[in-house]
Amino acid sequence: MSSSKESFNQISPSEFFYRNRDLAGFSNPTRSLYTAVREFVENALDACDQAGILPDVYLSIKAVDDEQADPKPYVLTVKDNGPGIDSKHIPLAFGTVLYGSKFGLKQARGMFGLGATMAILYGQITTNKPVVVKSSTDGQNQDEYELLLDIQKNKPIILKHNTKEVSKRGLSVSICLEGDYSKAGSKIRDYVYQTSLITPYATITFEDTKGEKFHQTKIVKTMPPAPTIIRPHPHGIDVETIRRMMVDSHFQIPTVDNKMIEKVRKELGLKKKNLNHSQIMEKANKRWPGLSRHVRVVISVMTFLKMDFEKLSKIRIDDLDVANKKLVYWDFGDSKSISIDLDQESDYYKQLTNTVQGETLISFLTKRFQRIGQATAIKFAEFANLKPEKRIGTMTNQELVKLSDSLQKFEDFLSPDPSCLAPLGEEPLKKGMEQFFKPDFLEVVQRGASAYSGFPFIVEMGIAYGGEIQSVGQTVYRFANRIPLLYDEGSDVVLKVVNEIDWTRYKVKNDAPLVIVSHICSTRIPYKTVGKENVADRPEIERELRLALQFLARKLATFMSKRGQAEMEKKRANLYSKYIPLVAQFCTELADKKKEPDYKKMLKMEAMVEE
Amino acid sequence: MKNKSKKTSKTSEERRESLAKLLQEQGLKIYSELERGEFPKFSVPSRSVSNIVYDKKLRQYILGNAASIRSARNMSQLRSFTQLIWLAFFANRLVQEKKSSTLRDIYYSSQAFSIDFEDQPESDNIIVDLEAVLARPREDLHIFPEERSSVFGDLTIEYTVPGYEGKRTNLSDHPDGYLIGPSLSSAELVDTSAELVIAIEKGGLFTRFVEEKVDKKFKSIIVDTAGQAPRSTRYLLKRLHEEMGLPVVILTDGDVYGEHIAMVIKSGSANAAHLRELTVPDAKWIGVWATDIEKYKLPTIPMTESDIKRIYDLQKDPRYQEGLWKKELEVFLKLKRKAELEAFSKYGLTNITDKYLPEKLEIAKSL
Repeated sequence: MSSSKESFNQISPSEFFYRNRDLAGFSNPTRSLYTAVREFVENALDACDQAGILPDVYLSIKAVDDEQADPKPYVLTVKDNGPGIDSKHIPLAFGTVLYGSKFGLKQARGMFGLGATMAILYGQITTNKPVVVKSSTDGQNQDEYELLLDIQKNKPIILKHNTKEVSKRGLSVSICLEGDYSKAGSKIRDYVYQTSLITPYATITFEDTKGEKFHQTKIVKTMPPAPTIIRPHPHGIDVETIRRMMVDSHFQIPTVDNKMIEKVRKELGLKKKNLNHSQIMEKANKRWPGLSRHVRVVISVMTFLKMDFEKLSKIRIDDLDVANKKLVYWDFGDSKSISIDLDQESDYYKQLTNTVQGETLISFLTKRFQRIGQATAIKFAEFANLKPEKRIGTMTNQELVKLSDSLQKFEDFLSPDPSCLAPLGEEPLKKGMEQFFKPDFLEVVQRGASAYSGFPFIVEMGIAYGGEIQSVGQTVYRFANRIPLLYDEGSDVVLKVVNEIDWTRYKVKNDAPLVIVSHICSTRIPYKTVGKENVADRPEIERELRLALQFLARKLATFMSKRGQAEMEKKRANLYSKYIPLVAQFCTELADKKKEPDYKKMLKMEAMVEE
Repeated sequence: MKNKSKKTSKTSEERRESLAKLLQEQGLKIYSELERGEFPKFSVPSRSVSNIVYDKKLRQYILGNAASIRSARNMSQLRSFTQLIWLAFFANRLVQEKKSSTLRDIYYSSQAFSIDFEDQPESDNIIVDLEAVLARPREDLHIFPEERSSVFGDLTIEYTVPGYEGKRTNLSDHPDGYLIGPSLSSAELVDTSAELVIAIEKGGLFTRFVEEKVDKKFKSIIVDTAGQAPRSTRYLLKRLHEEMGLPVVILTDGDVYGEHIAMVIKSGSANAAHLRELTVPDAKWIGVWATDIEKYKLPTIPMTESDIKRIYDLQKDPRYQEGLWKKELEVFLKLKRKAELEAFSKYGLTNITDKYLPEKLEIAKSL
């Protein structure tokens, strides 16, 4: 026997994140400050987007003590004009890990609102200061909380809570954290600048610790259309997701409370009468075809329980174990748990097992996934070698894996529905780029929706040339789901596509002042690394990027050649009016003539022809 | 003294007049094109390598028929077109006023007329273009290079340059010789008692020849080519041969470059393939041959890499495919050594004039 004793303790999610904060981007004071800014700004923008409000986001970073050397504590504040958060949800939302509202399949900047909690956690462990949250959901009353997080218990500690009257709706979050602004500053400024570029419908203000201010008033005054939440595409899911969906799809035994009993009585037409058990069953048999599903289940349960309504209201059904043919309930009167056997031969037994074993495969597929109709479902069942009528609740583990694998491999599903995506749109992108770069030439394109591995995506791209663009060569701004990607650009698929294009084919010199803005929208961006700064080169995405860039480059080439022609014409006219008079002068003397030839007419004609 | 026949060649005055006419024709052509509202153009014979061919009949390199149109309409040609017409205009003034200028002068003169040449090579190139258009050497246009060579001997000339018109000079009056410059080039050749022209590669030997009275001993006119003979020198040699009926012999260093100096006098260079009045096809190279090096036991120096490379290059030239020219190249290649004219000094300063020259002149008669 080993002398050492290993102990296995459960840890809370807070504890887990505390121990693995590097993964979430809180590895050092520089990176942490930048990550915290991102998390709060993105949460603010997401909140406004979802509520259909044109965002007005204010960000400030102030040193607690200006004199101190970096790294040092900073107060980071992000204020928005979004819907705010209900007072009762605030402690949980900001004082626990894994409390969020962002579940569901649609495009958003962050996934679960986890990052913000991480930032709060990081702030707390580096400065031991609480997070200050001010929220107003109605624009009249504001709740202000000061919270700490109990890391071991994953529970909020409310230090202070008060309410006051305000005139503006929105949320303000303020944390104190250790950071290094002297190192993170340029990245944060880039982030704010680029976020404004890709969010032209937002007003964004940033005040840093040195008093420098960035302010970008919204350029467009309409929100891009909001994405809708949709069912998943069969290509985009794994075994675990199916398992969860199946649990979700089981028809639950309805809670048999007074309200439900009332419903059953009503459907049986027994509102006022009090009948005994067998009388009720008799009535139910007659009326069976007209009964709702819930009521049928309750009647079935009553068959086995042999109870009337009076008795039924005094128990709680705990478990229906189909495999062992047992029904377990809690008797409030006797305060004990009672288990009864189910008669397998009974018609009602079938009714109950159907309920507990879940839908048929066909119904599961057509109801739970996008892009699967009746015909496709039947075709798929054949492909997967599964019985169409198979209850999904009775599937073995192997069958589940087979189902999951087949869903991946079956090729006749339509491509994913892109309505869950929220591209910016050509017009706002164009206006944003116009305002930011004031170029001589600007063109944008939004490609049609496409998909990789069951995840829909859309590529938007813009190209700007000349004007106030000072750069030598191309500057590429990369965005994914309206988030700027600032790090690791070397290995990014966008850069790869840009670098592979032969600009000379499009009459563009390699040192031409060029800005390329690339925006990939997807329900899942295939990032290469946990840092989420570079997009992997999936062939489908690469193809769409390339087509977008080639389209824009062709437009640019047309512009360049027109401009080249115009410049040439001008140069031509200048050259003619410089040299032709000289030619006339010299040949007049050479020819021994007195008067110069009339060449002016010719120059005029030439100018007209060229126009 | 005998007055030689002038039938074979035009006089300077005739040449001048025909050139003036040629220039006026070009001017008129462009003038009328402008009048008609057309963009004027020149047809410039192509001087690219592919258009340079060796003409066996003329015994020199000439330009083929390829020509390019230089139009004032074409943006990339307008500037050089204007430069060309300006140069014609400027040369016309020079000819009319009987003034001369140098290549460098041209480069600077252009600036007074808002014609800009980027550098002298550009203006030099336009001068060659005009030579090709008119098929006349730049010397006819009173444009001269900087380098000058000399001439000495009994030759009477009559100047045509302003201020000296009609004035005569005998070229044996000054022992350092006379510069072959614009005024000599444009002078009429009047009279000579010489029966031979000796062209010699080096100034030092030229002086020796004058001192040793080679002009009298061999009844000759001595010309210093100062290395590769300038155009004006070649032009003078040609006139001495054609107008005065004098045979021309050439004496060079005993190396591959010397051999080629002689060849250029005889049949021109590829660079001047557009010109036809600079060659003396009957001129004879009398030494120093490769075979002379052994025969006269001359002190030698080894050839360099580039000397040897030059031999291989010349072996591809159609003019070196036979006779003396071919044979001497082969011997040079075999020896891989060379000898200068001064090498004869090993046997006494006058050895070259007393012994070598008479022997070679004798041989020349049978060449």
